[in-house]
Parts: sequence; C-alpha cells; structure tokens
Amino acid sequence: MAINLKGIVSPYNALKQIGRKPHTVQYPFQKKEAAQRYRGFHYNDLEECIGCGTCATICQNEAIDMIFIDGFETTSGDSGLRPRVDNGRCCWCALCVDSCPTGSLSLTKDYLHVSDDPDTFLLVPGLDNPEGKENLSWISNGNSLLDYQRIPMPELEGKERVKSFAEVVLGYSEDQARAEAARCVGCGICTDNCPVHMHIPEYINAIARGDDEMAVKIIYDNNPLGETCGKVCTRRCEEICAVSKRGEPIAIRWLKRYATEKAKNKDILKEIVNPTILPPNGHSVGIIGAGPGGLTVGYYLALRGFDVTIYEAKDHAGGMIMYGIPKYRLPIDSIDKQIEYMKSIGVKILFNTKVGKDISFNELKQKHEAIYIGIGFEVPYKLGIKGEDAEGSIQAINFLRAINSEKHVEIGDKVVVVGGGNVAIDAARVSRRLGAEVTILYRRRVEDMPADWEEIEGAEEEGVIIHPQAIPLEIITDENNKVKAIKYANAEMIPDPKGGRPRPKIIEGDEHIIEVTSVIAAIGQEADYSFLPQEVLESIEIKRGRIVVNEYQQTKLPWLFAGGDIANRRADAISAIADGYRAVKGIEMLLLNKEIKNGGRLN
Amino acid sequence: MDKDFINENKTIEEIKNTFHSAEAKLQRKNRIIVKLRSDLIPPFLSYAKNYLSFDHLAHFSCVDWIEDNQFELVYILYSYEKNIIAIVKTRIDREKAEFVTVKHLWRQAETFEREFHEMYGINFTGNNRLTEFILEDWDDIPPMRRDFDTMQYSKENFYTRPGREDAQDVREVITKKSGEKIPDFAKEFSVRKLK
Repeated sequence: MAINLKGIVSPYNALKQIGRKPHTVQYPFQKKEAAQRYRGFHYNDLEECIGCGTCATICQNEAIDMIFIDGFETTSGDSGLRPRVDNGRCCWCALCVDSCPTGSLSLTKDYLHVSDDPDTFLLVPGLDNPEGKENLSWISNGNSLLDYQRIPMPELEGKERVKSFAEVVLGYSEDQARAEAARCVGCGICTDNCPVHMHIPEYINAIARGDDEMAVKIIYDNNPLGETCGKVCTRRCEEICAVSKRGEPIAIRWLKRYATEKAKNKDILKEIVNPTILPPNGHSVGIIGAGPGGLTVGYYLALRGFDVTIYEAKDHAGGMIMYGIPKYRLPIDSIDKQIEYMKSIGVKILFNTKVGKDISFNELKQKHEAIYIGIGFEVPYKLGIKGEDAEGSIQAINFLRAINSEKHVEIGDKVVVVGGGNVAIDAARVSRRLGAEVTILYRRRVEDMPADWEEIEGAEEEGVIIHPQAIPLEIITDENNKVKAIKYANAEMIPDPKGGRPRPKIIEGDEHIIEVTSVIAAIGQEADYSFLPQEVLESIEIKRGRIVVNEYQQTKLPWLFAGGDIANRRADAISAIADGYRAVKGIEMLLLNKEIKNGGRLN
Repeated sequence: MDKDFINENKTIEEIKNTFHSAEAKLQRKNRIIVKLRSDLIPPFLSYAKNYLSFDHLAHFSCVDWIEDNQFELVYILYSYEKNIIAIVKTRIDREKAEFVTVKHLWRQAETFEREFHEMYGINFTGNNRLTEFILEDWDDIPPMRRDFDTMQYSKENFYTRPGREDAQDVREVITKKSGEKIPDFAKEFSVRKLK
C-alpha cells in the first residue's frame, strides 16, 4: 500500500504562515479602522458650541434635543444648552454637522455601542465621549450648508460721497434682502444683546418669507424708531450672531432698514403697523426731550391710553439722531416720517419749549402725574488746553448741530478733529463734505477707538487722515485770536499693570505743529441739569454726571423717570429706546396699579 | 462638440428619425437623455433593445412631481456595444397612476415595478406580481409619495422613548433670560416655533 505522503505533509504547509501578519482583524483586541469620511457617533466641542440649536432644528428624525448640562449657563452669546443625540433615531446623514454655524459638531469614526439597556442610546456628544476629539471623520469644513458671506451693501463711492450730504448707504434690493435674510439660522441668540430685545429672528424670517409688512409690524412691537435703527444702530446684535463665529454676521441692521423703508410715508406706515390704541385712561405724563428715549416713552404710553406731552427745546424732534447724526447717515425725511407717524397716533410734541426757560419744571410737575427726563448729553467737554477760546476752535456737537440745522459754519480748508468716538468721525466726515482736508488726532491706537469700525473705514475711504497716539498740547493763535495751528505730542502706550487698557504717555520732546484753520473737539459731552429745581436735585442721586435709576428707569423720586445718555453709559440710540421702553412699563405700573406701596418705589 | 461625440449623436439622430416626437439630446460623453410620451414607451424600449443594442436595463426609478400632478418614470439603459447610457424619461398621471409593464423586455423590471407599486402606488398592467414587497401590513398612503408626512406617521405609530422630556427650546431659553415678550402675531415667524 502506497503511502500518500503528499496528503500527510501538505497540511503542515500552513505552518509557514507562522509569524506573518494576519489579514483578519483580531476583534476585540483590535478595532477595524473605519473609512476616512465614516459617519459614526457625534462629537461636540462643548467650549466652541454656543447652543444655537440649529442641529436640533434641521434634524429630520427629531433625534437631537437641546438640554442644560452642568458647567454651562445662559450668557450673552450662548444659550447654555448643548445637543444630546438619540442614537436610536439618528440616521447619520450629518445634516447637523453641515449646518453647524460654529463648526463645533462633527462625526467620528466610532460606530460601536453595545449595551443591553436601550436608554443608553442618548448621548451628549463631547460630554459622554471626550475621546471622540481624536477620531473625527466628518467635520463641517468646506461642506457647510450655511452661507458665510454677507450680501454686500451697495454704497456710494468715497469720491462721490464727499461731494454732498447724500445718503452713503443705498439699501438692499428685494432680491438682496431675501438672500441675506435666508442666511439667518433663526436661533435668536442675538436678541439677548439688543438692549430692547427686538424680535430679530421673527422679522428676519418674515423678510425671508417675503412678508415685509409683517416684518415692519414685528419691528414696531418694541421699537418705534425702527427706520432710524435700521440706518444708524450700533447693532450689538451682530456682534454675537451665531453665523459670525465663522463668517460675516447676518446684516441685521440693513435688513431692518430694508423692511422699514418699505413704508414710504406715515400713512402707509400706520396702515402696516396698525397699532391698537387704547381709549384714554385719564393719566397724564410729561416728557422732557424728544430724543429716541423720550419718543419711545411717548409712543408706547400714547398707545396705552395715556395723555402724553413731549417738551422739546429745539424746533425739530429726534434729539441726537436729528442734530448729532449727519444727514448722509440719516436723512431728515426719514426722521420726519417717523415723527409724523408718532404724532398721528396721539403723541403731542411742543417744540421750542425749553423746560426751565419757556416753562418751569414745577409747572410740569403740576400738570403731569409722572415725568420722564431724556435730555441727553448736550454740553461738550472742553480740551482744557491753551488757545481753546480762539476763533476757529469749536466743539463737535455744536458744529454738527449747526450743520444739521442747515446753518453755515466757517471751518476753512484745514481741519483737525480731536477725539476717537463716533462724534469725532461724524465731525471729520462732515468737514470733508464741506471741502476741508481733515486730520483726526486720537490719544490711543486706532483699535482703541470707540467709533464703529465701519465709520472709521468710511472716513478713511473719504480721505480723512487718522493720526493715532497724538495728544494735543496747545492751540496756536494769530494776533486776531484766530486759530493758526495746533501743537501736539506723540504718545507711547504704557500697559496698565492692573490689566486695564493701555494708557497713552507723551513722549518728551516729540512735539509737532500742524497749521490748521479750525480745531474741532470731540472728546465727550455731559448733561445740563440746571433746569431742575434745587429740591429735586437734592432728592435724586447723580453719580458721575448720570442720574441713578432702577430697573424701571425710576429715580429716587417715584414720579420722576430718566433714561438715555443721562442714565446709561452706552451712549447710543438703541439704549435710549430700551430705557424708554422700560420706563413705559414703570410708569404704567405706577399710575395704573393702585396697590403699589413703598411710596411708589417700584422695587 | 458635435465632432467629439459621433456615436452619441448618431444614436440621437436614429432615435429622432424613428420617433419624431421624442426629445433626445446629449447630456455628456457616453450619456444621452430621451424624453417621450408615455404611450410610446413600450415600442421605444423594444426598439432601443432590439435595434439600438441597449441590452441592459441598468436602473429604473420614479420621481413624484406633486406640483405637476405627475409621476416621472426613468428607465436607464446601457449599450455594451456603443458604451452609451440612455436615460429614458416619461411622465404619467399621478391621480390615476397606471402604466404598462416592461418585464417582457427585462425580467428585473418586474421587481422595480413591484417596488413602485408599493412605494408610489403605481399599477403596472401585465405585471401579476404586484404583491406586498418590503413594507409589512402597510395601511397608509404609499410612503414615497411626497404628500406622505413621515414625521406625522412616526408620531402616530411609534412611541417616544422616555428620557427626553428635559429638552429645551433655544428661543424660549433666551427670551426667558432677556425678558423679551414675543407678541402672538409674530410667533408663527419664530423658526423654532414656540409652543
């Protein structure tokens, strides 16, 4: 019998494989590496995430919930919520990742989850799998569904602008506005930063849906100067826009402008807003100053049936928005339209009536049950240097007021503006329009300027020279006491040991002289409280030039309310409007609620 | 461009000469699109298979054009000889969703038609296997029709696993913090739909 030698030996051939790398995966000691772009479990960078909830909104399976987790609270720019994924419902389509504005949400290569408890399918990405960070596969770079580019606002060119006071910003067309509104993810995080808390996602959504009239109605719900804000708001909302984390924020201000401009005159505006005006309730309120704050108080109190009278020292309403903001930013027609609309719903405005001169404060006190003061900061600070009283040395506020009243101001052809706020930039850009060469001297660096960056850029485009770190020393005059030149010194920035912003320090000997025809000072303003009787001044509290108020803008005197620049440090229209809106609530509580004790103090 | 795609354009010419009402055009290299009246589909497919060498039915799909009240049937044919893909499209009425089978040309069409019967509710005369396919005991409108509300169906038929009640509404959380009061007329414009 022949032995089948081959049959015996062959199986041992397999031994030659010993020591070779196997082709199989030694699970569970080894894990199979998933594909490069595998869509497995979520990972969320909890610090980057702002809790906008776009992932939860877009999820087609309703697999994502927004929940509070330890260590995160609702703050400005962060809802404090974080997504939790029900992996029993998730289909790993990655729409949530592709629409995440911050890019914090990703998918990982991990795909194994073994448990006999079905409730463990709920996972908070990032919290439950911190190791996922090392294993990202699907991230929202490059394949985002969001549009990070803003629709550019059409503007006049710099060279065209300086020829006249024509409005610089031309406004969105309908298509542009719809496209810009469609970029919004509707999270509403922005509303927290708005002093008035306007209903931003709602009116932007209305514009996106093509319902501009509804947008106007929503805007007027808590802001009676929507068009003004649409043109000149300091738009703190855009600073925390969810889309701004990685791209340009939604042009919230320009969309508001687009919607409100749809109402061409006061009648159309009234028809669109169609506010409910309550019947007279017999209460009377006096308002001193027809600035944005005073007008807001007047508008909403009038709607609620109060008899309101605004006392305005000048011949036009608007306060700083009328006399401070140049007309190339806010045309007078636009202000007039808004004021006329307010009058048409019952707000009474007495012009050329200065309290303390044309009518006494005590007279007001007798006429009205409550008084709101919104007089603003009208008195400019002085530079406090030699030669300041010379002819040709003027204050920016007075200058802008004169120009906006269409008066002629002689500034010559070489102007120096001192200061770095919006008022300084306004004065500089107005001077350019009057044909002068303009240099701005500012104590600190350009990045320290309190003015809007858009305003600074606009000024530079129009040929304004900005000279930072320059401190004026003296205004040099000629024999007729006319401004001839300004002497300034360059400064270096000294870091603040306490961690505050660096302070400028004059470099000894580094002094220069510029020949000028005018010097315009724009270093701040303060209020003039001289119209208030002594006993009122003694009863209320004034701290660093501002009246101390509570959350309803109520002063220490229960019947006296104050708001705007004289009560807040923000110095913008929207804060004054917010103050007015709060005062409306306070005055309503005070006069309509009989049960208020504590002598009428509201808190 | 015409010179580059001799084969494709020749096929298009032939189709147009035979079926005058056919809209045939080049999509790109190796790919042509043919749009036809639905009653011409059986003769056209037979012609394409037997005379133009489109031997293979590579794919067969359906699109719901709810706005036009039509279904679109898309036959994707392939010719090994020509190396050309022909996308053949036709539209049928959505209300009375009926068409004829093409299983006598390609056996696999039977299964595609069975799927469309279940997912879109289209009846293919001549196909006697239009029985339950992958849905078990389906009692709603065919689920691939665009008027079928998947979310609604899911809510009615499946229970929600407990443990998700702590979910918050982002807009509500922010309004609570800021004190903003959204008026009723504006609420429908909240993208996040406040309850």
